[in-house]
This record gives sequence, structure tokens and C-alpha cells, in this order.
Amino acid sequence: MTEVVQFSARPEFRSPTLLVGWAMDAARLGWRVTGHLIDRLGGQPFCHIEPLDFFPLGGVTIENDLVLFPESTFYACPEKDLVVFRSTPPGHEWYRFLNLVLDVAQDYCHVREMYTVGSMIALGPHTAPRQFFGTVSSRELKTELSAYGLTREVDYETPPGGRPTLNSYSLWVGKRRGIYGANLWAPVPFYLVSSDDPASYRTVLGFLDERLDLGLDLTDLDEQAKALNERIDRIRTSSPAVDGYIRKLEENVGLSQGEGEKLAKELEDLLREEEG
Amino acid sequence: MAVRLYGEPGLRQPDMVVGWPGIGNIGLIVVDALRQALGAEELGEIEPWDFFYPSKVVIRGGVLETLEFPGNKFYYRQLEHRDLLLFTGEEQPSGQGREYAEGGKAYEMANLVLDVAEEFGCRRVYTSGAAVALTHHELRPKVWAVATSPQLLAEAKGYVNTVLMSEVEGRGNFGNITGLNGLLIGVARKRGFEGVCLMGEIPDYLSRIPFPYPRASQSVLEVLGAALGIAIDPKALDSMAAQMDGVISNVFRQFPPEVREKIDQRKHEIQTRPGMITDEEEKWLKEHIDEFFKGGEKEQ
Repeated sequence: MTEVVQFSARPEFRSPTLLVGWAMDAARLGWRVTGHLIDRLGGQPFCHIEPLDFFPLGGVTIENDLVLFPESTFYACPEKDLVVFRSTPPGHEWYRFLNLVLDVAQDYCHVREMYTVGSMIALGPHTAPRQFFGTVSSRELKTELSAYGLTREVDYETPPGGRPTLNSYSLWVGKRRGIYGANLWAPVPFYLVSSDDPASYRTVLGFLDERLDLGLDLTDLDEQAKALNERIDRIRTSSPAVDGYIRKLEENVGLSQGEGEKLAKELEDLLREEEG
Repeated sequence: MAVRLYGEPGLRQPDMVVGWPGIGNIGLIVVDALRQALGAEELGEIEPWDFFYPSKVVIRGGVLETLEFPGNKFYYRQLEHRDLLLFTGEEQPSGQGREYAEGGKAYEMANLVLDVAEEFGCRRVYTSGAAVALTHHELRPKVWAVATSPQLLAEAKGYVNTVLMSEVEGRGNFGNITGLNGLLIGVARKRGFEGVCLMGEIPDYLSRIPFPYPRASQSVLEVLGAALGIAIDPKALDSMAAQMDGVISNVFRQFPPEVREKIDQRKHEIQTRPGMITDEEEKWLKEHIDEFFKGGEKEQ
């Protein structure tokens, strides 16, 4: 019988931070942020959770001709005392799954703080500043993180028929086990959800860099964000419809559902066309 | 995975009535109505996190205060001649994206409910659910019964407005009851409890609409009150039922005229010539109702 949690290495940590990113959120923000950190910090996989108990394994998902398979992997960045966990969201047994993640984080790594990364679909334009914020699991951490301009006096309850996010669920399980942390929420303009939005993950990475003293050089992301803005500017020049919709958003005029859908579709097609 | 009991009331061989959501929420409404009518007190709960995804997050001032899960609660009531245990679950533990419970989680939950029944010396368990039937929403829903022993079937045959499942025209001797309202009775039988499942009729053409169907719950409540020997006024559900009658009439008016006509014929046929709805008619209606709802989904 295969062990559910499998270690491939035993890296050492002092008192690390856990960063959690899930695949499949808007603009794949959590996946991109965690991927960027693993790449830049030379993160190495050291442990994974076997998929059998948590994912429907009735077949395999194909995306753009690529075979996808659920993965739930821990990466170690020991020099920065950082543990990164990237995973496909489990399909069932969520409580057990999240506790396994925290078993590794708490019992093996001795994690002292955790962050999750998630995106929010924003109705405003990409040219507006990103209003990044976090929800925390303790009042002490709220005070501490207010120095980063992260916390807001948000009151929220899941509306009837809705469900809390896996990030909220993770933070709650952490809180029950005495690991406090924050969900980091970065807005992604609705018309960039299925494309790419480097400005949003630049925002999250900027906070993590400062908070965890990671020493990241984020110039390339600034350049990518700038390049995307320039591409959209070019599209706006050639497509009066796209320009009109974005201008309305910039003038703080809401779009109808139909207009919003047209903007997202047209911009996505034109960006793809530009990429050739 | 645990049951948390808030107290240990001394109950005398109580009967247990159990309800989960399902088609028309018929069983759930029955247990809720019983709980309210009898003023039943909370007895305990099944810890939900191994069974359910949370239903609500509460954030205050930017701080995550709590996460709420679907409730699974036990209640009790000591009556003059009979004690009762009640259990309601706000959701069925569907786990793998299925609408109704099945497999390991469902079996675990059924056993946890029956563990409490056993602890309090319970002898009989009632569940209730929906019987999807070729009937009409203006007719009084019948109650279909199944039980865990021939002796109980004989008793159930004597209940008011009740038929045994095998007596329903066209059903034959075989059937199944989906989800926990059915599974619990099976596990009850395995563990040696007496068990009865009472299913209130819901018209086939309403079974896909996510509305409660309190008229069927009223029928079940009437039977259950008599079976338990307790006075439950079925009118307790009158206002809910009247409200849903209005909603259902509105939906019905939107059906194509030929479908309405076919359904309305049932009122006459069922009352005068039970069993006269043919397989062809049933198939025709199912196809047309499916088409009607598919059209509605496209418009949304």
C-alpha cells in the first residue's frame, strides 16, 4: 500500500513560512506566483501527496493537447526558509487533505506562518492601480501586516448558495492548528482572466519579497506588465470597440454583461493573434 | 470523525426519525415539522468536516472568524407514551461530485446516526423521501412504504393513504431508494433495527425542479403521526404548501399546452382508471418535459 504522503528528500528548515498556491484560479495567479518563486529561489521538490484519495481518477484532463494530472507537491527553498506547496484543488476529502498539508508543514517543517495566494475578478480596467489586500486569521497578524498596507476592514459572509474558497478553508484549518496566516487576494481585470496578468502577480510577489526578505529582482515582471499594457494600447488603437469598452471602465462606467463578454472575447482573440 | 452529544437524557426505547435533503426535500421537511411541532431539544451533532465542504466563511474587519459547515443534528423529545429521537442533515455527504450520497462516506454517516440510535436503546428507525410518481400536483400525494421485515410491511399496509412500493402500478417487485434516506434503512436492517421508509409522491414532471414539495411531506407527516401514535397537525405545513402550490401552478402554466393537457388527463385517469397511463404516454411526457427544461436552461 502506497503511503499517502511521500518524502523524496529531507531538507532542513529553521522556522519557515508556508506559501500555498492552487492551480485553476483566475489568471492562474496562485500557480504563477508559486512557480515564479520556485524558479527564482531554486526550490526543490521534497514531498508529495498521492492523488488516489483526493482526486477523481476516472481519466485524464487534456488542455491544449497537453496531458494534465493532479499534483500536490511541496518545494523547499531552505536558504530563504520557505516551503512552497502547489496543488491541484482536491475534489473530495478536503479536510483530510488540508490536514495532511499542515501535518507536513507543522510536524516536519515547523512552519510558523502561512500564506495562500488567490485572485479576485475585478470589474475595473487594467490601467487602474491593483488594490491588493489580505484576510488574516488572527488580530495580532492583522496589526503586523497593516505596516504593508495589506489589511482592510473587510466584512464578508459567503452568500447563500455560494461556497468559501479553498484558500479560506486552508486558513481556517491552519488557525485550528495554531498556524496563523493570511489569504492574499490580488485583483485580475475580468478581461485578462483567461490570458495573463503579470501586474497582479507582481503585486503579490512584491509583498512576499518584502515580508519574507526574499531578495527578489522583480524588474522582469515590471517589464512584462509594461509590455502587456503596450500590447493592449496597440489593440485599442486598432480596435475601436475594445478601446470604447476599456475607456468606459476608465471613466468608471460599468459595462453590461454582453459588453463585458465581448471585450473579454475580443481582447483574448487579439492578444492571441498578436502572439502569432 | 465523531458524534458530539450535549447531554444524556434518559430515553425509553425511543423511535428515531431521520431526514436528509432529496427530491422535493420531502423527508427533511417532515423531520423539521416534527421537531418544531414537538418542541424537540438539541441532543448533539456529527462533526461535519470529514463529510462536507464548508458552506460559509465569516470575515469581520479583515479577520477570518469562522467557517460554517452543513449541520447534522440530533434532537430528542420525551412524550407521555413514547420518546423520540430526530436527526436531520442539511446535506448528504456526496463526496465525489454526485448529487446523492453513496459509497464510504454515506455508509460512515449512516452508521454514526445508528450508533446514537443504539446508544439510546432505539428499536425502530423511520426515514422518508420522495416517490417520483405518475401523478398530478392537484391530487393528494400518496405515501409509498417499504420496511425491513414482513411484520412491518403488514403494519405499514394499515397506514392511512399508504401503499407498499410493490403495489404501485407498473413498478413490479423491484426498486431502489437513492441516497441516505434509502441507505440508512439498509444499514438499519443490517444492524438489527426495525426500519420503515415512507416516501411521499411527487409528480414526475416536478422532480427535476429544485423546489420543496411540502404537499408530499404533509402526507408523510400524517402517516408518521399515526404510526408513532402522536398528534401532529399536518396543517402545520399549510402555509408552506399553499405558497408552493402557487409557485407550482405558475411553472405548470408555462408548460406547452399539449403537455399540460396530457398531465391534466391524469387527474381523471388516476381517479377513475388507475393504471391507465401507458408506457408510451409516460415516455412522451418525459421527453417533452425534458425538452421544456432544456429550453429554460438555454435561456438562462
